[in-house]
Parts: sequence; structure tokens; C-alpha cells
Amino acid sequence: MTAAIDLEGITLRHSERRVIDGLSLTVEPGEVLALLGPSGSGKTSVLRIILGFATPEAGTVRLSGEVASQAGRLVMLPEERGLAVVFQDLALWPHLSVAGNLAFGLKSGGATPREREARIQSILGRVGLAGKERSHPGQLSGGERQRVAIARALVREPRAVLLDEPLSNLDVGLKRELLFVFRDLLKERRNTVLYVTHDLREAAALGDRIAVMERGRVVQEGTLESLRENPASSFVRALLDDFASAGTARSAPGNF
Amino acid sequence: MLHREQMLVLAAAGAIVLLSSALPLGRLLTEIPGAGAAALRILSAPRPWLLLIRSLMLATAATACAVAIGVPLGLLIARTDLPARRFLWMLHAFPMFLPPFLLALGWFQLLGREGFLGSEVTDRLLFSEVGLVVILALTFSPVVTSMVALALLGMDASLEEAARVAAGPWRVATRILLPAARPALVLATIVVFALSVSELGVPMFLRVDVFPAAVFARLGGIQYEPGEAFALVLPLMPIAFGLLYIERRLVGAGSFAVAGLRGMSRAPIPLSGWRPTLAAASWSVAAAGALPLAALALRAARGGGFGQLPQWIGQAPWTSLGTATVAATVIAAVGLVVGHGAARRLRGASMLDALAVLTFVTPASVLGVGLIAVWNRPETSALYTSVAILVIGYTARYAVVGTRAVASVVLQSAVHLEEAAAAAGARFWRRLIWIILPVNLRGIAAAWLLAVVFCLRDFETAVLYYPPGREPLPVRIFTLEANGPPAVVAALAVAHVLMTALVLGAGGLLVPHRRPE
Repeated sequence: MTAAIDLEGITLRHSERRVIDGLSLTVEPGEVLALLGPSGSGKTSVLRIILGFATPEAGTVRLSGEVASQAGRLVMLPEERGLAVVFQDLALWPHLSVAGNLAFGLKSGGATPREREARIQSILGRVGLAGKERSHPGQLSGGERQRVAIARALVREPRAVLLDEPLSNLDVGLKRELLFVFRDLLKERRNTVLYVTHDLREAAALGDRIAVMERGRVVQEGTLESLRENPASSFVRALLDDFASAGTARSAPGNF
Repeated sequence: MLHREQMLVLAAAGAIVLLSSALPLGRLLTEIPGAGAAALRILSAPRPWLLLIRSLMLATAATACAVAIGVPLGLLIARTDLPARRFLWMLHAFPMFLPPFLLALGWFQLLGREGFLGSEVTDRLLFSEVGLVVILALTFSPVVTSMVALALLGMDASLEEAARVAAGPWRVATRILLPAARPALVLATIVVFALSVSELGVPMFLRVDVFPAAVFARLGGIQYEPGEAFALVLPLMPIAFGLLYIERRLVGAGSFAVAGLRGMSRAPIPLSGWRPTLAAASWSVAAAGALPLAALALRAARGGGFGQLPQWIGQAPWTSLGTATVAATVIAAVGLVVGHGAARRLRGASMLDALAVLTFVTPASVLGVGLIAVWNRPETSALYTSVAILVIGYTARYAVVGTRAVASVVLQSAVHLEEAAAAAGARFWRRLIWIILPVNLRGIAAAWLLAVVFCLRDFETAVLYYPPGREPLPVRIFTLEANGPPAVVAALAVAHVLMTALVLGAGGLLVPHRRPE
């Protein structure tokens, strides 16, 4: 089976510093891969390379087998990649209503007005925002904005959804609530997902697999259990200790 | 990688900048070899060089005084509990939007021999280098004040707050606030110096001999000798390139980092016992800018100038308003594309931004002569003899207002908003119209308004090539000043002041007050 996202030997420098160092990674269709790593490990750079906002110095990015970026060259522009993204700051367009935010990508994709309406209603209902179509982002609560952001990403039925620490600025209660929403939605729609986080609890709650990044490389990949059995670095060990001491290892996913 | 569509849009904006700015400057550069004999003859005499040195010294003195006034005032307005500081800022800044010779005219009504407060001594002082430097410093100091204040208001509050828990107000101001405003201060210094070197109206009115007047005399009929004018502008070109070099080295993208007036609502630094003294000093400076305008109004009223206004004003206000509005719209559109590109560090856009800066810092007489050289030919006479030449000239000189203002606001909006649109499949044109424009609408509208006002106040470029019978208002006032009735000239000046105030007032109402949230 062709991988939905395939990174091979990716290298990226920022002002002489190697941010990504020969990284290879695949995300299979319908899989949720959690990309876990400390701040500065290069997680967000990986996401930007996949989206086409950064060009790798070496290596190849393939999307469903098609070359999207290759050694210093963007083969596909960001708008041609069929991906969707949820940024940490959500990046909701403040001058557009909730419906406008969702319709924007659908219009770019050439959906008819009727089709747009139906898809917007369906996804808003699914994320619990029915009736909020006309609200603007400034009129919504933090949790509602998160739901709009995920709805905006999913409404286009993208090839894959990339999420860049979307829950990192939330309080524990809201984070837990939204983690359930995200997990159910992503599983139900069988989306291919790359979920970037520095929090093992989020990674464990959402990811089918976890890839751990340190200093621009993937140091370990596998399920939570395989990480536990054979932690590849002191960072992974520290994360697991923290995870266990919080008592969450025995609890339901997302229960923190 | 730039998408083809983005390249096309940038190329279209670039073509406007190149056509209006690069062509005249390039044309003058190509004139250098051909200028040969005429250039050698005129430039081998010591007089032009002495005049140039004198002009540069006067511009340096005016700039130094403007900085000395503007830096403390900018700091006081932005970050202290000075009483009514918003109003003080408005009053102080307003003269910046007027042709400087209007203020000279006002000072003449006050301090000239027959002025309201005039005597032999004040008259002699006014018609001297001292008078020139003081008037230019008072006119241009609001540029420094406003740029320093905006930089301080845009600064991250936590930087200041972290300092205030550890040091007194003086140390916070000198060690934290002013260094943070350094790029804005350097840019303001360059702008004031460029404006002072370019200034033609004030020195001509005060009979102070300066270099741009020598160029004007050779184009304006007194000593009509266009070949010599070409030769005379050549020594000014290295000055423009020098200013551009300093701007690129010391300011660059730093000048983009200006962020609205949010900081005005932060807790101000208390002036305590100094408050009355500093308030009196600040209000005196602001009043000094407004005083000549009051004198003009008084002279016009006493001499019955307002009654005669309809006979003398002609179509000049409409020419001014029409050309300024069209040019500002072009400037804002170019600014949207180039300013956005410069803020996002696109190579072509950064080069166009540099060209816009170069054209602005180039002495106005150089640009004027270049525009004449390019457009005053049989094939383009339809353009050259119509108001289109004014629009081209304004666009060339003030394109920088659009590019810098838009770059500044684009930098304040999250790049993720555009990236999310690209990821959603929107191509550049769609992102420009549906995301970049509305998200930054407030700043773009402000840039448009600023460009209108800058075009309205322009005198020193337009006077060189205005089409016959279609002169803008500042040119009309200046040409009438020599022979027209003083009360009428004063009334025309007041009309210009009111026109500018109305444009600023109406613009202020129309510009959206809040960014979308």
C-alpha cells in the first residue's frame, strides 16, 4: 500500500543549524501518527515541509506516492497538496464567519453552493456547533474556536490532516474534552493524521503510532507499549516516567 | 518558490514602480556620459559645490533640531502621563501634513516686518538661515515624534514592565525604550534629512540660497537652462544612494515593526514632579506648530481674503484632490502587493521596496528633472501635458508610504492566516483578495489616507512639471505669493489647511477602527 505521507532523508537548515537531519517517516492511509518531541526538536519544521511552506535541502516528500518536494525544490505548491492544517494559534480568519471560514476551502476546491451548505451543516453538527454558522471567531469561546478549526480542516475531506499542537494552550478540562472530540472525529472519518505534540498523554490518546523526535531525527517509532518496553533515549524514559506517575497509564486515553 | 500567479501580480506592481520611479532615475544615470561639456562647465565652478555643502549643512542642522525635539516628545507622548497626550500629538503632528512653505508664510504673517508680532529684528531673523532651520525643524519634528511614539507603542509591554520593576523611569526610558525605538529613530532621521535637502518652497520664500533652488531656476524660466539642470542634479544622486545604503544597513525590516496604538492604554510612566514643566514645554512645541496657521487665518480674515477666494482659487483644489486620490489608490494597491511581499521577505518585493525608498530619499529636484526627461517628449506629450504627470510623479515619490505602511501591518498579522488559506487550496490572487486584504484592511486604508495627504502636501516635485493651467493648490499658492494680495494668499493657505484637515477627518471616520478579531 502506498503511504499517504512519505518523508525520505529530509534535511533542513536554519542559518547554518541543521534543524532536520536526514529524517525519514511514513504515515499510512487512515493512520493517526503522533509526532512527539521536546521544544526545538524540529517537529513543526517537519509539518511545514509536508505542507510545502518550507523546502528541504535534501530528501524527498511524497504524498500518496507523488513527489511533492525534492531536494531544494517544491514540486507541488501548498495549495496543490490537498492537505489540511490546524495551527497552534488556530489561524481562524477573523473577518469571516464560521460558515465563511469553512466555505473558503470548499470554494477553492470548486464545490457547488448546495454541496458547500450540506457539508458545512454536517460537520458543524458533528462538532457541536450547529447554529453558530454566522458567528465570527471573536464571538466564540476558546473551545468553540478549536472546534471550528478542526471542522475547517475536515470539511474539505483532505488527503491528510496535520495538527500542530492544537491543544497546548488550553486548560486541562477543555483539553480533555476536545481530545475526545478529536479522537472520535478522526477515527470515525478514517482520516490520515499527523499530530504534532510534546505531550505523551495527547500522543497516547490519539496516535495509532508514536514517532519520537529529538534533535531533528526520529529516534523511536512504535506503539505506546513498544516505547515502554524499550525506550530509546533518556527523553523517552522521562516522558514515560512522567506519564506513569500522573497515573494516566492505567486510565482511559485522554483521562488526565 | 513563487507561484506564477504571485509572480504576475508582483510583476504588475513592480512595473508601476519601475515605470514611475526607476525610469526617471535610470534616465538621469544614462545622461551622465552625455552631459559631458555642460556638466563639466557648470560643475567645474566652485559655486555649485559651495551651494551643495551649504544645503547639506542646513539640512543637517534642521534634522538635528527635529530629532532633539521629536525624540523626547515621542517618548513623553507614548509612554508617560502627560496631560491630554493624544490631543497634543494630533496638534503637534498636523503641520507635518502641510506644505512647509505654508508654515513659513504663517511665520511671515507673525514675525515679518508687518507681521502681528513683527519688527526689524524678527524680520531679519526670519529671512535668514536661522529662520529656515527653525521652520524646517518645527515642520519635520512631528515625523520623528510620531515614528518614535509608534515604535514605543508597538513594543512588547513585557519588555518595559520587566524593566520598570527593576529601575527608575529615566533608566527605563534611556536604556530600554529608546534603544527599542532605534530603527524607527534612524528611519525618521533619514526621512527628515531627505525632506530637508529636498525642500524648495521654504528657502525660496525666505530668500535663502539652496541647491534645489538652483535646479528650479534652470527649469522655471528665470535662468531657463535645462541642460544645466541635468548637470546640477548629478551631485545629488550619490546622496540618495548614501541614504538608501544607511537605511538598508541600519533599518531594513526593523522599520516594519510598528504596531498600532494599543500601547496608549498601558499604564503610563508617571512624571511626578516633572509633569507641569514637561507639559508646558510639550504644549509650547505643539503650539509653535499651530501658531502660524492661526496667523494666516487672522491675516485672511482681516484683509477680506476669504471673500475673494472664489475668484483666485480656480480649479486648484480639485486638481489636488483628484490627482492625490488617484495616486494614493495606485500607491495603496502597489503597497498591498509589494509591502506584503517585503514583509514576507520575497526577494523581488524587497528590491522594489528598496527602489521605493531610493525614490523617496532622492532629492525631489532629481526626481522632477528625471520625470521631465522621460515624459517630456512628443510621443508622451498627451500624458505630460495632462494631470496624469502629477499622478505619475506622486506615485513615484510616495510609493514608499504604501509599501512601508502595508509591510508594517502585514507583519502584525499572523502568517498562519495566509498559510491556512494556501493549505485550503486558495491560490495567491484569492488569498490576496479574500484573506490578506480584509485582514489588513485597517492598515491599508490608513496607508491610502497617508498617501492622499502626502500627495496633497507635495510642492517640490510638482512645481517642476505641473501641466499648464492644472496646477495643484500648493503650487498655486506659491506662484501667487510673490504678486498676489497677501490676504488672498493667506486665505488660499487656510483653504489648503482646511482641505487637509477635512481629508484627515473624513479618512479617520472611514478607516475601520478595529482589526477583525
